[in-house]
Order: sequence, then C-alpha cells, then structure tokens
Amino acid sequence: MANVTLEGVTKRYDDVVAVDDMNLEIPDGEFVTLVGPSGCGKSTTMETVAGLTMPTEGTISIGDREVTDLPPKDRGIAMVFQNIALFPHMDVYDNISFGLRLRNFDEDETDRRVENAAEIVQMQGMLDRMPSEMSGGQRQRVAIARALVREPDVFLMDEPLANLDAKLRVHMRTELQRIHRELDTTVIYVTHDQAEAMTMSDRIAVIDGGRLQQIDPPLVCYNEPDNLFVAGFIGSPSMNFVEGTVSSDGFDSEYVDVAFDAGPMALGEGDAVTLGIRPEDIYPAGEAGSVSHSTAEIETTVDVLEPMGDEIFVYLLLAEDAESDLEDPEAGDQLQMSVDPASDIEAGDSVSVVFDREKLHLFDTDSGQALEHGLVQPTQAEGTTGTGAETDD
Amino acid sequence: MAGAQASETSDDDAGPFTRWVQKSIRNPDRTYRAMFYVVTIFFLITTLFPFYWLLVLALTPTDLVDQAGLLPAGFNPEAFITIFEQLPFHVYLFNSFVIALGTTAVVLVLASLVGYVFGRLEFPGRGILMILVLAISYFPPAAFLLPLFRLFTGNVEILGLSSPFVFNSPIGIGLPLSALFMPLSIFILTTFYGQIPDGLEDAARVEGTTRLGALVRVIIPLSAPGVATAGVLTFINVYSEFFFSYLMTDGQAQNWGPLVWGILGYQTQYAASYNLMAAASIIGVLPVAILVVIAQERIVSGLTSGALKE
Repeated sequence: MANVTLEGVTKRYDDVVAVDDMNLEIPDGEFVTLVGPSGCGKSTTMETVAGLTMPTEGTISIGDREVTDLPPKDRGIAMVFQNIALFPHMDVYDNISFGLRLRNFDEDETDRRVENAAEIVQMQGMLDRMPSEMSGGQRQRVAIARALVREPDVFLMDEPLANLDAKLRVHMRTELQRIHRELDTTVIYVTHDQAEAMTMSDRIAVIDGGRLQQIDPPLVCYNEPDNLFVAGFIGSPSMNFVEGTVSSDGFDSEYVDVAFDAGPMALGEGDAVTLGIRPEDIYPAGEAGSVSHSTAEIETTVDVLEPMGDEIFVYLLLAEDAESDLEDPEAGDQLQMSVDPASDIEAGDSVSVVFDREKLHLFDTDSGQALEHGLVQPTQAEGTTGTGAETDD
Repeated sequence: MAGAQASETSDDDAGPFTRWVQKSIRNPDRTYRAMFYVVTIFFLITTLFPFYWLLVLALTPTDLVDQAGLLPAGFNPEAFITIFEQLPFHVYLFNSFVIALGTTAVVLVLASLVGYVFGRLEFPGRGILMILVLAISYFPPAAFLLPLFRLFTGNVEILGLSSPFVFNSPIGIGLPLSALFMPLSIFILTTFYGQIPDGLEDAARVEGTTRLGALVRVIIPLSAPGVATAGVLTFINVYSEFFFSYLMTDGQAQNWGPLVWGILGYQTQYAASYNLMAAASIIGVLPVAILVVIAQERIVSGLTSGALKE
C-alpha cells in the first residue's frame, strides 16, 4: 500500500502533447478515477505510473520511492487491462500465478495466494480452464485475480469493464468496489464512462487535452464543477449552457435572463459569461413548489420527448424559429429538462419553465473557469425573460 | 435443320466427351474438382519422380546402370549397406545434422531478437534496416567466398592478430549460412511477433518480466507456428546446402565434411558408383522428409498466416 505522487508529468510524442504538466497526489488506500473523453491523455497518464511509457518530463513516486526510471516490474504495481490480456497459452492457475512464479515464490505460498485470489473474484474450481473456454466476465475476473495475487502497493485499472456487456459491467462495478473495500489498496482507475467514475471513486480526476481539469469527490465535481469542461462532461444528460453577458442587473442573453447582484463577483458589465443548469434543475413553472429560489419563468416550446421510464427528458426550444438540433444541445437556443414520468407534457406544447437558483452555475466564457455556483441573492427587480414573462420570486 | 438438331441433342446421342462437358457446365464443381486432380497429379509426378528414379538407380547393380529404365535393371538392395562400408556415411550424416541444428539454433535466437525489434518497436530507420536485411539475403554467396575463405583459414590479420582458423569446423560452414538464411527467419518472425497484441506484452512486463522475458515467456510461445516454420526452413536449407558445405571443409568425415561430401565420395578418379550415390542421397533425404511430415501442419499454418498478414 502506498500513496502515488505525480509531479509535473509531461509526455510528448513528436508534435503531440499527450499529458501536459500533470500533478496528482493520491493518498494511500484511495480509489481515484481518471476520467475524460477519448484521447485526453488519461491512459497515457496511467501508463507513466505503470512504467509502460516513460514521461518526457516530471517525476512519479510510489510510496517513498521515486520510480520514474524503474521498469514496470520493480514498481510494486499490478494492472488490469482494457483488453483483459490473459496469456492465451496458459490456464487460469498459470495466469494468476505468473507474477508469483517469476518472483520465485515457493509452491505452497503460490497455491495459497492463488486460491485466495480466486476466492475473492469467485473463480474457485475453474483454475484449470483455458482463457478461450471462458466468458468475458470470467476472463476479466481472472485478470483481476492476477493483479490481486501479488498484493501490490497500487492497482492500476485501464478501462477494465469497457469490453463487457452492460449488465455485467454494472455487476463488476460493485465487485470492484467490494474488492477495494476488502483490500483497501490504492486504486487508480481509468475510464471514459462517467457513470463508472461517479459510482466507484473516492475522488474523480477529470482530464481533458492532457491537462488535469479538476480532482475532487464525485459529488463535488457534479455540484461544483471548476470549469465548463467538467460541468459538461460530468452528468448525463449533460448540463445546459447558455452564453450571455453580464448586465447591470445580472445575466443577460438572447432568451434567458437571470437577475443577480454581480457586484461581489468582480464582474464588469458586458463580460462574456456562460450560465449552466442541469436538466434536473429545470422545472415546469407549475411544479417548482419544492424550489425555494427559482428564476423568472421562461417561455419554451417542447421539441422532443425521451421517456426513460423513471424520468422523461424534454428538449425545449427557446426561440419560436429554433431549429431542433439534438446533436448539439449547447447550441444556446435549446434546453434539456428532466421531468417526472407522470408529467403530461407533449411535443409541440408551450411550456413555461423556471430554474432552481441554488443549482445555477456561472462560468467565464473565455477562460471556462467557474465564477459562482448557486445564484440565490435576488436583486430587487427580479429577472425578466426575453419572451416577456415577469413574475416575482 | 442443324439448329433443330442441336436443340434436341440429348445425353443419349452425344459422345462421352460432349456429355462430360455438358454435365460440367451444369455443375461447375465437377470441373474444379477435375482441375484439382490434374494439377495435383502433375505436381506429384514432377516432385516424386526424381525420388523414384533415385530408387531405381540405387537398386540397379553398378555394371548394369546403363540399362536401367523405368524399372531397375536387376535388384541389388545391398547398395544401402555398402555405402556405410565404403565410407563412414553415418559420420557425414551426423556432421550435417549438427551443423544444421547449430545454425538453426543460432538463427532462431538472433532472428527472434531482430524480429522483436522490427515487429514490436517503432523507431526511425526501421524500414531502411529491413530492406538492408532483405538485400543481404539476395547476395550471391560466390561473391564473398574468396574473402571468407581467406578469413577462415587464418590468412587475414585484424589488428595484428591473425583470424581464427575455422576451416574444417562447423563454424566455417555454419557462420556464413547463418548470415545467408537469417533474413528469411527475420521476416517470418517479424510478422508473427508483430501480431501479438501489445496488451499481452504490457501485462507480462507489469507482472514482472523484462522485455526479453516477455519475448521468451509470452511472445515466442504464442508465435509457435512461426518459430517452427522459421526453424524447419532454416534446418532444411542448411542441411541441403551445397556451396559452403562443399568449400569450407576438405571433405574428410573427421574434418566435419557434410552430407554433400559423403555423397560425392562414392565417385572416385576411375569409377562413379551411381547406385551408391543414389542410395546415399535417399538416406540423406530421409531425416528431412521425416521432419517435414512431422512439422508440416505447423509449417503450412505458419507460411500462410505470414502470407495473409503481409
């Protein structure tokens, strides 16, 4: 068991910077998930920890040792790979005990550890199977057992569930959490699936373009995203963004105005800002009873409904002549709202909606940095909307 | 009239050939099968007839050799024993075996390392290096025979030291042949090692092997058909090689004279015992024939999968 520290790790390929000045401090026993879109550098970051890729700059420490120049085998790590990577010419026992045999463990100890690891992943009695005779989930368990058996300081998991079917993925997710609870080892987990990141981790490190965007517990990333990228990446469906400017009495855009006191935020009139609101924080005007601070009503037209069973996603068009463009929900003239499945909203309806002020986010449009989470201090004149509706809070 | 007749032509009044053609048009599989048999029989005859001819010669007594036709003139199987009485033919066989095995081992070890580098690592100049290796395999051996001969007989001084005397030793034959047959193995193994997924090598390295360890424990076992193909082809090439085998020893059995010297040994200044040479040839071919029969499945799968990849 050990903490993992990355200091200024940078990896450059010819003219591409895969990882850019990455600093991470992962304490002993923590489950940290590196999450980001494809090609954001999360896997490369993990490979530098594993020793499979040498960083161009920076240092990596595991425990008290600096391991930057050590080969993978001397780093005290174990890794589970996306493509599982069981050795196809060895049976389960040989696969699991591969690392132990290389380190000349005696036979009894090897047997004991293999049995133990097989028990943890619930694969007892299958030790003489060949990888080709097993299902994807079983292979992945064997791969996890192979990592467990060496009792490593740090577990690295590179999208270990990506190749499993949806049902198995959810199951293995809980299995991994159970294993982590039992062993209490440091885990670094790479995934592009933010559901995995949200459910399993102690902290999430959101990475984009090779840079660390935010590292915080899942709910902090969700409720208080540091910047536009994190806000848009964490959460499904993703946050609605409305671009606008700061006016004398708050936020001003073509269709959506929200009044607030910009004074304490060091914002000048005319500054470009982006308002963010999650689909579940938008309510039809009549159903906002539970919201203590709501904005003024905004007139919208229902474009498309997506019933999910437990909720309905409603695509709202803000402008009369807006083109429906489901591919680009950030187009600025549409909003996505999540409503109760009992709702009787239908496509083509005109609906007035309000936002929950406590859940509003304000970002600097140019830098993307978050300015404020929750805009609850209403000024005297509550905001007006572009479509003319005006109510008191 | 003619047209009417043609339309009424049935299987009954046509000749057997016409009928066969008509059936084949209706059922093209028949044609393909027939073509398969024709071609197969052609190849079988052209490859197996020389062996049959050797057998005919071996069984024909020396004095009747000019009368041998498609059947042996007389029956004299003693030739197969005489060859071991006149010369220590088993020693020549042994010499060739040792040289071929040794060369194969050297080639496989070196070509594995090169194949790993070419197949699994990206580095500048890789393509040029591979072409260079390929070019070496097209070198005419005769072009470097003389300098090699001088080198191997201790006639070249390197930094004041005369070169080691390896004429009449397995090294004298094995060294140039390793170099000549290495490119083939390198290309076969490059293809195979390149096909092993990166993840497996990464997994092995994380589990505790070095790069070399991953090659030996994971990549080579998974490339078994390729390694077998490269090994068998190298063995056969060296075993049946003529040029260096003939010129890098003086032909004495105790001086590591290989098979070719053994076979030619039955030809003296005054007489050429064709029956003995034929018998020796047959016995010389046997080990290779057995090897190929045993390994043929792997060779075929090795050659074709290599071919598909390239």
